[in-house]
Amino acid sequence: MTAPRALVVWCPDWPLTAAGTDPAVPALVLASGRVSACTAAARATGVRRGQRLRDAQRYCPDVAVLDEDPEGETRAFEQVVAVIEQSCPRVEVIRPGLAAVPARGPSRYFGGEEIVAGMVRDAVLERDFVCAVGVADGTFAADLAARAAFEADDGIRLVPSASTAGFLAPHPVPVLEMPELAGVLVRLGIRTLGDLAALSMRDVLGRFGSEGAVAHRLATGLEARPPAARSPGDDLSAQFEFDPPIDQSEPAVFAAKSLADLMHAKLGERGLACVRVEVEVSTADGQSRSRLWRHDGLLSSLAVAERVRWQLDAWRTAGQLTGSLTHLTLAPDQVVIDTGRQLTLWGQTENDEEVSRAATRIQVMLGHTAVTRPRLAGGRGPSEQVARVPWGDTAIAALPADRPWPGRVPQPAPAVVHPAPLPVRLVDASGTSVTVSGRSVVSAPPSRLVLGKEHLAVTGWTGPWPVREYWWDRSRSRRCARFQVATDDGRAWLLVVEQGEWFAEATYT
Amino acid sequence: MTGRQQQAAEALASVAGKPSDVASESTGLPVLPALQGLLPMLRRGQVVEVDGSGALSLALLAGASQSGSWCGVVGMPEGGMLAASEMGCDLDRLLLVDHPGDRWVDVTAALLEAVDVVLLRPPVRPQTGVVRRLVALARKSGSMLIAAGAWEGSSVRLRVESSLWTGLEHGHGHLRGRRVKIVAEGRGAGGRPRSAWVWLPGPDGSVSPAELAVVHDSAEVA
Repeated sequence: MTAPRALVVWCPDWPLTAAGTDPAVPALVLASGRVSACTAAARATGVRRGQRLRDAQRYCPDVAVLDEDPEGETRAFEQVVAVIEQSCPRVEVIRPGLAAVPARGPSRYFGGEEIVAGMVRDAVLERDFVCAVGVADGTFAADLAARAAFEADDGIRLVPSASTAGFLAPHPVPVLEMPELAGVLVRLGIRTLGDLAALSMRDVLGRFGSEGAVAHRLATGLEARPPAARSPGDDLSAQFEFDPPIDQSEPAVFAAKSLADLMHAKLGERGLACVRVEVEVSTADGQSRSRLWRHDGLLSSLAVAERVRWQLDAWRTAGQLTGSLTHLTLAPDQVVIDTGRQLTLWGQTENDEEVSRAATRIQVMLGHTAVTRPRLAGGRGPSEQVARVPWGDTAIAALPADRPWPGRVPQPAPAVVHPAPLPVRLVDASGTSVTVSGRSVVSAPPSRLVLGKEHLAVTGWTGPWPVREYWWDRSRSRRCARFQVATDDGRAWLLVVEQGEWFAEATYT
Repeated sequence: MTGRQQQAAEALASVAGKPSDVASESTGLPVLPALQGLLPMLRRGQVVEVDGSGALSLALLAGASQSGSWCGVVGMPEGGMLAASEMGCDLDRLLLVDHPGDRWVDVTAALLEAVDVVLLRPPVRPQTGVVRRLVALARKSGSMLIAAGAWEGSSVRLRVESSLWTGLEHGHGHLRGRRVKIVAEGRGAGGRPRSAWVWLPGPDGSVSPAELAVVHDSAEVA
């Protein structure tokens, strides 16, 4: 039972292509502190995926650093998918930059896999995107074939069914993208997929569990999981009808979250998981669009909702979806037996069910970012020391709080931190603004704080506390000085002076 | 000075420990020991009015939050969460809705049903109907509301009567603590207004009593 033939289109360094970067310019994309993609020019200097920014900048000091933008990547990749779709139906987006299609149908229709691969390659190249096409048994092998094809002259690599195992054998184990398992295998002396495939399935399953079994299946050229035989009558999809039709995507995203919950519940009670999820929408003016996303039983309901958001956004931007939405359907595609997944023992705290329901309700009313939870973060000023993380999100790119932050404003912390600093004036006894010189010398002791129409007498003050942050980064660099000032109304203020302008950053009240 | 302060805090803790035991048995949420002289506990279904969105409103959350209650904060984008955490709030059990806009009543209602304490700063003076609806909801779901701003029919009103920051000199030092006189009045405060001097906050950001007399007062009350 071999995997069905698959055709994979790979656009190298997609995050950078999507951002419109020239491959000849060294640039990289940063995701949670590490390099997630880089241009050919950056790679030539030694920058690699997974490096820390500091290391990457050592290899290539003038590299441009971009932030991750999954929505933008999806939006841009939609152009590629639309092109592929013209010749091959049922395009599956594995992730932005990588798409797969079943090869059997189109190759019979057009008269051969090579012809189809050539058509797809030419169509994508015509839209000025670099790509490589691989055809092999199963998406995993086809993906590797596409990567091998990138080195070849014509950008196409066909791996015949009989030689798929032979093609996979020399690849190193880390291409499985299971870093923990790969680490163990390499230390055991199993360095290539061929070595892994040579072991017996029983032994691998016994030693490494279901994850090892998946790796073994992939290494031998099979699909990751055996397809599940089920009665065809079961409807595992989840559908929602919008009445009245909606124009914004936010309500659709929230509906998608509950639909994903429903779909996962339906699958879960049958002990199944899906490899892909199909997102389908129809509009009031009779349009209907659908797209497959890779799922592999790993996506949470929120992650599915997020993909729906990206997809709706991409369709709207491309002008492929104009009317108001009437239906949203999530359907599991290619159902497999769920082999389970080990949750980590610690660190996944469960939230109170009632609280999470209320939070979701408010998110439905006001949008995803309206409900937040505070997290302590690193920084010197009071506004930098707290990050507000939207409910349901876990990953934050905040700076660590448990580091020494020399020059941090001392305890106690202010009870009121103004979201936007208030412009104020601090004047001395003669009524002229107090200034701070480059050497942190105060022109005269302050005597009054002017806050709009309020004039407050200063009863005590201290400062300046000079701050010179991110001098190496022009966009974030900041030079200012902080003062603490107590006024006669019983309040105290954290003032900041930046380029001669005074602001109240926080109020101690 | 800090030594004496510490002694005072310990003396109060030993006295205040007793009424708080009683409070936890009845249907109340605990308040910080330093504030128990003013308000022995936060009764469920009650509305407490606080003037302004400063440290006092956050200090009221801290006691309940410390003891494991979820808290919600509505309409206070300027709330200093670092200060709240220094006072003893558990940030893991805090929900913030910074900009509820026109939906603030619905948001507060949704939170009152789910969490124990909701701190709300109404953007406008609430109408009688809204007040009645939220109070009824709080009573039904056994949660309580702290209103940072005018609230008709609140059972206790807390305000800061005088406040003095210490630690700042002319050109040196840094803010160390604020000694405030808090006054509690209203039906729930037991007839006559009560007052207490507290460090809000103290040098490490926590709330502690600032006068030994408070210890005697609260002993009498207890």
